[in-house]
Amino acid sequence: MFGLGLKKRNTQDLRNTPIPEGHHLLEVNDLKMYFHTEDGIVKAVNGVSYTLDRGETLGVVGESGSGKSVTSLTIMGLIPMPPGKVEGGDVLYRGKSLISMSEEELEGVRGNDIAMIFQDPMTSLNPVYTIGRQLSEGMRLHKGMSKKDALARSVELLRMVGIPNPEQRVQEYPHEFSGGMRQRVMIAMALACEPDILIADEPTTALDVTIQAQIIELMEEMQQKNGNAIIMITHDLGVVADIADKIMVMYAGSPVEFGSRDEIFYAPMHPYTWGLNRSIPEPEIGEKHPLTPIKGNPPSLVDLPEGCVFAPRCPYATEKCFKEVPPTYVTESGHYAKCHYSGNAEFVRANAPETSRTRKVAATPTEDERLKKGGRAS
Amino acid sequence: MTDSNILLRVENLCKEFPIDDGFIARRRGTVRSVHAVNDVSFDIAAGETFGLVGESGCGKSTTGRCIMRLTEPTSGKVLFEGRDVAKMNRAELKAMRREMQFIFQDPYASLNPRMTIGEIVSEPLVIHGTVPDKAERERIVRELLDTVGLNPEHINRYPHEFSGGQCQRVGIARAFALRPKLIICDEPVSALDVSIQAQVLNLLDDLQKEYGTAYLFIAHDLSVVQHISDRVAVMYLGNMMEYSDWKTLYAEPCHPYTQSLLSAVPIPDPDIQASRNRIILRGDPPSPINPPSGCPFHTRCPIAKARCSQEKPQLREVLPGHFCACHYAEPTPIKESSIELDAVTE
Repeated sequence: MFGLGLKKRNTQDLRNTPIPEGHHLLEVNDLKMYFHTEDGIVKAVNGVSYTLDRGETLGVVGESGSGKSVTSLTIMGLIPMPPGKVEGGDVLYRGKSLISMSEEELEGVRGNDIAMIFQDPMTSLNPVYTIGRQLSEGMRLHKGMSKKDALARSVELLRMVGIPNPEQRVQEYPHEFSGGMRQRVMIAMALACEPDILIADEPTTALDVTIQAQIIELMEEMQQKNGNAIIMITHDLGVVADIADKIMVMYAGSPVEFGSRDEIFYAPMHPYTWGLNRSIPEPEIGEKHPLTPIKGNPPSLVDLPEGCVFAPRCPYATEKCFKEVPPTYVTESGHYAKCHYSGNAEFVRANAPETSRTRKVAATPTEDERLKKGGRAS
Repeated sequence: MTDSNILLRVENLCKEFPIDDGFIARRRGTVRSVHAVNDVSFDIAAGETFGLVGESGCGKSTTGRCIMRLTEPTSGKVLFEGRDVAKMNRAELKAMRREMQFIFQDPYASLNPRMTIGEIVSEPLVIHGTVPDKAERERIVRELLDTVGLNPEHINRYPHEFSGGQCQRVGIARAFALRPKLIICDEPVSALDVSIQAQVLNLLDDLQKEYGTAYLFIAHDLSVVQHISDRVAVMYLGNMMEYSDWKTLYAEPCHPYTQSLLSAVPIPDPDIQASRNRIILRGDPPSPINPPSGCPFHTRCPIAKARCSQEKPQLREVLPGHFCACHYAEPTPIKESSIELDAVTE
């Protein structure tokens, strides 16, 4: 389709429209995405809610199959429907629903206002096109740039993400790049149209730690420069400790806990978050601490347990947990957890992990509190 | 460690894989090769866990495979209980492998999908003929499944019916079936989720306490290696850069590569993360086809000097039991988990 007369897009960018009063940059309200398969209904995303503002970074943490990727693919409108179906809830971008948008409108948003970095840099690039051509595609499509301008901008982008000798590299093919360099190209591609929101789906999982550190540093730098919001999806609590402002912990399609970074790390309320904390070997200098793993395996999304989804693996589960779906317990700061006992301060104090990570959260108002009082980030 | 205590000794192990550059290169005799493992030496005592860490392509898996002779080493010695593995014939090799088993990275790919887990776990017993009686074999397999935390009733199920963590337990049961003295664990937990990873690490720990098996634990995750190992070695581009007991290596790393590697590991604690002094290496590791002259790390090293590109540093004992291959390295204590780069650059 490229070169054969590119379809001219509506060049009006949604990101220039002001956020309506009382709304956030991105609002996800009780989103439900189910897949209708032969084996039954897979409840991949089951009631996810969060808000995101400009310049913020949301970390989405969870194990494989917890629905963290499907949530963001739903926001991007990249889930094939059928088998997927939005069974409820909405996603509002600058007050406009992404779920009820037409495919054409969505194409104007995707890759332009909201861009995505995929997990595997090896397979996300097209092997038969040069890097320059792949980088240009979005800019020609969304900005109506000429081939020449787009290529010049591509060189600039490659330089920005730290690829040496970009004038030459822009003419090369993906196989001539190493894994870390390809991920840099993916970042450059996502940033090409200066998106409002950058969704990064496990951007460093396929990379070595020294390269991972480079990529995270780059994403932070770009955020400071462009003021975009980031949704960072990862299974690595270390990565979110580095980069996130807010964290959502997901389990079996539901967010079990959501709060500011400090709240999740230093005052977690949900037994699953505690379990994750205790499962990670800590680089330590003193004595070795034994790991306390979470027993059992995650449930099948086709056949979710009755009551609390975590109950079968929860060491504190009572009869109530197996019968009743837990309510969402919300603190004043907006920190929430889906557990029958999160509201019980004594229970939380007695059972939360006693590691070096436990610390009193300062009593100063958090970002969420400030936002609740009306002062919204620009 | 006394000499009699040593189970496995690796001396100057080298492995090169020739690259097929085609007919002309062969005629000219200019065939290049990948220097996967370059002059690696270490030993493992009975009942000990020796960790081998490094980034992808550093030769840690090839080292493990050479020890079992799953690939033929190019040169060097691998002595298992004093006997050279490289010189063994088929029968000797088979006997040796009864004492030395392997746990693979991918729990799905390492189990035959057409065999029941009972057949998989009993296969080593059949091959080595240690338990000829079928009923007795089944009893042992059931016991093993129970030991690794699987339901013995599932003996007739197939691998696809299990999750990744459970498949890895099957792989562990198979490795322990012959009660070997040494198990080479090649990234046994890297394909698993954190909550499952902790289960498998604890299982390996418990089994070691029960049977006194030694592990060669190969992984890229430094926190996992530190958690399970008694001694840890760091590899880079086929070379061993540093090795020491786990405590010293993590508290006082000498080699600039180890220091940057440790500082690159994100710690799940925002406060520590914010206060750490991190060394971010520039560029990618060089190609093992054409490794740099001198020290393999000098192209990315923050403290490299002229000498580093000319002269290859040998492993030297900087402190008792702590070896490091760097011309300028000194033990650098990590204060409160932060690495002081300044102390090195002086």
